[in-house]
Amino acid sequence: MTALAVTAVSLRRLLRDRTALFFLVLLPIVVILVIGATVNNAGELRVGLVSADPGPLAAELVAELRSSLATDVHSYGDEDAARAALRRGEMDAVVLLPPGLDATLDAALADGGTVPITMLGAGGPSTQQAAQSAIEGVVARHAARVQAAAFAAGVAGGTVQSRLPDATRLQEQVPEIAVRTETVDATSNYLPPGFSYSAPTMLVLFVFITSLAGGAAIIQARQLGIYQRVLAAPVRARDIVLGEASSYLAVGLLQSLLIVGVGAAAFGVDWGDPLAATALVTVWALVGTGAGLLSGTVFRTPKQASAIGPAIGIAFGMLGGTMWPLEIVAPVMRTIGHAVPHAWAVDGWIELLSRGGGIADIATQLTVLAGFAAALLVLATIRLHRRLTA
Amino acid sequence: MHPALAIAAKDLRQRFQDRSAIVLGFVAPLVIAALMSFAFRGTETYHVDIAVVDNDHGELAAAFDAMLRSSELADLLTVRTVADEAGARRDLANGRLGAVFVLPAGFTAAAHGADAASASAPVAVLGSVDEPVATQVAVAIADAFAAQLNAIRLSVAAALSAGAPPDQLPRLAAEAAQRRLPEEVTVQPLGATPLKPISYYGPGMGIFFALFAIGFTARSYFAERRDGTLDRIAAAPVRRGVLLAGKSLATFIYSLASLATMAVVTTLAFDADWGPPLAAAALMVAMTLALVSLTALVIAAARTERQADGLASILTFGLVLLGGNFVFISAAPAVLRRLALLTPNGWALRGFTDLATGARGWSIVAQPVLGMLAFSAITALLAAVLTTVPSRRLVSR
Repeated sequence: MTALAVTAVSLRRLLRDRTALFFLVLLPIVVILVIGATVNNAGELRVGLVSADPGPLAAELVAELRSSLATDVHSYGDEDAARAALRRGEMDAVVLLPPGLDATLDAALADGGTVPITMLGAGGPSTQQAAQSAIEGVVARHAARVQAAAFAAGVAGGTVQSRLPDATRLQEQVPEIAVRTETVDATSNYLPPGFSYSAPTMLVLFVFITSLAGGAAIIQARQLGIYQRVLAAPVRARDIVLGEASSYLAVGLLQSLLIVGVGAAAFGVDWGDPLAATALVTVWALVGTGAGLLSGTVFRTPKQASAIGPAIGIAFGMLGGTMWPLEIVAPVMRTIGHAVPHAWAVDGWIELLSRGGGIADIATQLTVLAGFAAALLVLATIRLHRRLTA
Repeated sequence: MHPALAIAAKDLRQRFQDRSAIVLGFVAPLVIAALMSFAFRGTETYHVDIAVVDNDHGELAAAFDAMLRSSELADLLTVRTVADEAGARRDLANGRLGAVFVLPAGFTAAAHGADAASASAPVAVLGSVDEPVATQVAVAIADAFAAQLNAIRLSVAAALSAGAPPDQLPRLAAEAAQRRLPEEVTVQPLGATPLKPISYYGPGMGIFFALFAIGFTARSYFAERRDGTLDRIAAAPVRRGVLLAGKSLATFIYSLASLATMAVVTTLAFDADWGPPLAAAALMVAMTLALVSLTALVIAAARTERQADGLASILTFGLVLLGGNFVFISAAPAVLRRLALLTPNGWALRGFTDLATGARGWSIVAQPVLGMLAFSAITALLAAVLTTVPSRRLVSR
């Protein structure tokens, strides 16, 4: 009963603190939004286009690039602006259609030559390769039509322009040698892109940081001698420890619930098997509880806890794969990353969100996280109990 | 010593005696930059292991195989031999292969016709869920090969449709096969230096942690007011402006030192590129000025130490989130990129991105510096307006 009263007081203190509410409620949601939107945007090919030629063949190629590439093709008025965007990484590739494309194309058709369509590439080799592939596909389709029109004109008379509509129609009708793709495995090591990536990783990151920074409240209470005064009443130290622990757990669970709820309702995140997700959220809130109580005994001043706590939380988050997927880092960093609980929690979410796993599939992760939680809680309880009774 | 300098020196002494300030200003950004540097190491080249399952056994299948093994694709592809399709699928699933081509029976025969009957089954590209780029690359290669065949088929069909006699089909197909596609994509390097992650997140983390100085300074100001230090200084012949100048100078030096340390250490230890020293210094100074005026705003707007702390935290996190210190802002949608330029750190990161990608010239530095100065001016003005409200007097009288 006393423990519950302690919990209630701690929660009331927190809910009156507008800054704390910002970090608890608003910040995680905005972060999920920003990261989710960015990941989503970067997942698609971003192609810039500079076209100086208003000729019909060039216009057709522009239209084809616009309609065929997976994402919006952004037109630039001049080459310098397109180059700057590419250099900064705002685009994956820029296509430069040469001035006088129609005329050079006519000449090339006459003498069997080829017109180079320039693609400027930047960024990582893999995105550049993907952009090149996509653009080559579109250009080849356009070139095939032009070639067919020229061939028909050569065999049966007429001009390229006059034969082009027929070639365009036939391209839709003549059965092509198609290329189909098949994904052979369904066990992804990544979270789904977009908000389904940002929501679970930020849940892991923020619940931990909130708890660590929350250690400040315990330090403040200790400094003000509140615990000593409470202990003067017929209250046992372990009730205070239990009460504080439950308030951390409650805050962790509330924040998780909020992120899960907003993620599902506003961002369309499918959190997977409800039982497994609940277990993962709960055990992660317990890890946070342990870390928060420990921070309340390790740091000396509230300032240290609220300033250094988040820095540690961010560093752990980076190691554990909440800021970028551990799949992309070197194997040794992946191993080191699993020294922090975050990596196990993210692994659990990957299993639930990307592979449709159930509670049995994340048994290992749950066990390891429970181990982390138990170790942190025991250590923190002993330290806090000692501080209270010393 | 000028009173402003004396006040600045005292503030700096206090700051550097505070372990939290040292950790946040110097240790944490370096640790986090190191983590980022290690994490993104070794993602510089791209290579795919592929295999071909040949069910055609014709001349086109042989030509396709030869193309894959050509010297032009050698940097990109390694062709591995597989026993059969089942084996290839296993190797894909366990990550030994990035993509597999399955050439259908009748692939060669398909090139020599123009009707539905002669079209072969599709060329299959088998991919793995975690290697989307490998799949894309393989599809593009297959597409390019199929495009040549389809162009021949389309040419023949167009000629027939234009009135060429059908009995000449073999001759037309042979002629069409001699043509080359009239357009070809040629890739030109941009000529810019590729942006290294550490060259973006180095300044990003440096600025993020430097922004914590806002909270430190604002809190210490209210602590001094509570302890009566400010009243005692006010009793001395020190004007309020001098007091503010001293405090601002201390914040300026502390933040600039934090940023500069980050720049030097990440350059030496992790090969980050902050651009030419003068240009980088101009960006850092402008960013630090913005930070000082933000501090003034927090002090002017808050009434208590607690309020100052909260306001500073909210400002710090709001700015780093919008400005792109945590996400690579260039990858964000256009609307977020525009929002980022409302923040001084967004301008600073724009400048550092430009410098690290090899852009040079006055405007590369001048534009972001002006952006940050404009932000500082507006913030300072706002702070000045707030301090004229009687209840918010900086020094209680």
